[in-house]
Amino acid sequence: MSNHHDLEELTTHCIRCGFCLESCPTFKITGAEPESPRGRIYLVRGALEGKLPWQEIQEPLDHCLGCRACETACPSGVEYGAILELARERLGSKPATKALLTGLTNPGLAKIQFTLGRMLPGKRMPAALSRLIAGSPAEADLPRPQPTIPWPELDESKLPPVTGQVALVLGCVMRVLYDPVHTATKRLLRRVGLETVEIAAPCCGALHAHAGMLDEARTRAQQMAAAIPPGIPIVLNSAGCGSTMREYGFLDPGLSGIANRVRDLSEILLEHGMVEALREAQGFGGKRITYHDACHLAHGQKVTQPPRELLKAIPGAEFVEIDEADTCCGSAGIYNVVQPQMARALLERKWGHIAASGASLVSTGNPGCLAWIEQKSRETGQQIAVEHTAITLERAWG
Amino acid sequence: MPTTDRLRDGLAREIGAERILSGPSVERTYESDAYNVDRSQPTVVVLPESTDEVAKVVRWCRREGIPFTARGAGTGLSGGAMPALGGVVISTKKLNRILEIDLPNRRMRAQAGVTNIALSKAVAAHGLHFAPDPSSQTVATLGGNIAENSGGPHTLKYGVTAPHILGLTLIDAEGEILELERGFGPDWIGMVVGSEGTLGVVTEAWVRLTPVPEHVETALACFGTVREASECVSAIISRGVLPAALEMMDRNILMALRAAFGLEFPDATQAMLLVECDGPREACRQEIEAVEQAFRDFGAITQQRARDAAERAKLWTARKKGVGAMGRLAPSVVTHDGVIPRSKLPEMLDAVYEIAARYQIGVANLFHAGDGNLHPCFYFDDRDPRQVEAVVAAGTEVIQKCIELGGSVTGEHGIGVEKLDLMGLMFSPGDLAYQARLKEIFGTNELCNPCKVLPNQRGCQEHRLRWRGVAT
Repeated sequence: MSNHHDLEELTTHCIRCGFCLESCPTFKITGAEPESPRGRIYLVRGALEGKLPWQEIQEPLDHCLGCRACETACPSGVEYGAILELARERLGSKPATKALLTGLTNPGLAKIQFTLGRMLPGKRMPAALSRLIAGSPAEADLPRPQPTIPWPELDESKLPPVTGQVALVLGCVMRVLYDPVHTATKRLLRRVGLETVEIAAPCCGALHAHAGMLDEARTRAQQMAAAIPPGIPIVLNSAGCGSTMREYGFLDPGLSGIANRVRDLSEILLEHGMVEALREAQGFGGKRITYHDACHLAHGQKVTQPPRELLKAIPGAEFVEIDEADTCCGSAGIYNVVQPQMARALLERKWGHIAASGASLVSTGNPGCLAWIEQKSRETGQQIAVEHTAITLERAWG
Repeated sequence: MPTTDRLRDGLAREIGAERILSGPSVERTYESDAYNVDRSQPTVVVLPESTDEVAKVVRWCRREGIPFTARGAGTGLSGGAMPALGGVVISTKKLNRILEIDLPNRRMRAQAGVTNIALSKAVAAHGLHFAPDPSSQTVATLGGNIAENSGGPHTLKYGVTAPHILGLTLIDAEGEILELERGFGPDWIGMVVGSEGTLGVVTEAWVRLTPVPEHVETALACFGTVREASECVSAIISRGVLPAALEMMDRNILMALRAAFGLEFPDATQAMLLVECDGPREACRQEIEAVEQAFRDFGAITQQRARDAAERAKLWTARKKGVGAMGRLAPSVVTHDGVIPRSKLPEMLDAVYEIAARYQIGVANLFHAGDGNLHPCFYFDDRDPRQVEAVVAAGTEVIQKCIELGGSVTGEHGIGVEKLDLMGLMFSPGDLAYQARLKEIFGTNELCNPCKVLPNQRGCQEHRLRWRGVAT
């Protein structure tokens, strides 16, 4: 194993108190302890100690969303995400998963795939292919790129002077599927006096890391790091990428310096006066809105308040919380492709909470959540809008 | 031992195959609760969704002679949910519905697998809550709280679980469904609460709802000696203040918290006191001021009072994260549980340190100081059999000392398998025989959570080496 982290050592930090159980989406759905963080850690430890064969723990680990809600709940500071990735590396990835990731994280290839995908009947992955990857028929529609939004030109005379620069990582999935989010991001940054330098390196390595393909992730991390100019803050609007980039030191200790500069868009906007800027926006006039925490923002990066503070600052918006806002929606990177049934169960649960809140708009900070919750919105007649937080904020100006 | 297939097939006919888990990963993850010194694997785990399904499982087990053990979240600290003789684990995690909220009578009926915190959340909008608050309350279940008669930091003022249970649905050891209520005659509920799942399986309960106090004040103080902190505790109580919570943490706990979470405290600190008062605003203020006066009288190095809910949560961090922080020090923690008269705290703590030093294991101490309930936490590597032996032996000495000082073998964690051998320190053979006879009221009973609470049960002794991982 090429990694400098000791998996066994990491698993022994868990004293099996069980405080994580109710934070775990798969445990909440199944009630089964092999589907809990405590259970999975103890299974990994068991496999390492030769108490049970590695193939016996494959399924419980495959079922894990990697949402890391258990890390938030853990009183012992167990690094569950690291344990999961290292254990998955030990288990090795299925060839079909590898192929899926290669396509998804290459913007050129992904664009072709999604375009071809839309010509398919049912707009889902063909059953035969899904069975190969997931062992059951697909639940997730093939994602469709969000259409361009015709924003008006920003009126420079009404904007504050430019006081700094930030680097915006365009990424892979976000760039292909949600290009308008990048447009909104750049406009919002400009509204608080920040100029954007776009980083076009294709993929940060997050999806590979989550699947335990740590060597592949490391190569991508090094390429990403090489593409980022020194000194300025690095802004992410994709929670999964931000989380992995903040932890680049885990993949390669030499990249810790890059990691320390990574910020979520919501944090940067809040620090640079977006709440004050929003006072000038026309706002939403009585619209009820809510927020779904992307796991890798809430649990991976511990960013929960900044997006809420920004959304609450939109004039005329009535912000309400949903139950279990920080519980995974089931998207979880490629999870809704490889574990369609559990992903669907979690989506239904999430949607129940959203619908019960009476909100007509839900914002979130990650492309995977967006595509997955949007699909449910489409299935139910699009009564509730699903948007990236950046789009919601930018639309506050009309 | 019956084969897994036989149990799977038999139970599948009773409640359906989709409610049954088995296989190596299931066996391993259900082999212990949060007390992981003793381990024993189940053959299958069932996840029934109704009282009737639980009854069917219990009756089937009786017919077939298979041991069964109920389990909630598996956060117990004495091995109560460990399937000591294998067989069937009956998980309550699919019995997770709140069935009825009766506001005029301030009571609520819920299934056994509902978490403690969910009970309180369900009625929070009405200014009510379920008062027992074990530290594991975000995950621990109602059924588990009933089994262990759980306490928590606020037990000092509000009592343990028993007074908060108004009715029960119990599947007794023979599979009969019993509805128990408070009323005249024998206190059946009092017998079941705290019986650690040895009398049957509780599937539902009526719980008492308590008004959320109008006002809360929380203060914290650091002391240079354990004796000063202990004397301060006694003074607070003897001056007529009844705090909602009165907690003490020793230096080792604070050091673990400093290492894990950057907790700040003066270097000279040997003990920290956390005191919470609640009630009507004015009375509550007077109480906390009396507490602060006691802090000063007994030479507190520093003290502070929470100004708002956020500060209160911060003051509680040290208490709530204490045991978890020790996960940074070693792979395993045994949180011991004994009771002593408040006035004996300093002497007891000296004994704990001496015992731990003699056995060369790390120890840190948390107390519910107000009610003399101490939790010495031993941290060790459970992969090393010698350390496991040392922890068990040291724990025995700690409890012996508790009893010597006029205390008890357990405050709130139960006997389980952990303290089987210690029962004889408190109870005569006659007492124990009487307790064994009491069990028979609920059905002849060798299969229902066997080998727990009462020592010397038939067929248990030979398994004990296996539980410790010493034999396989």
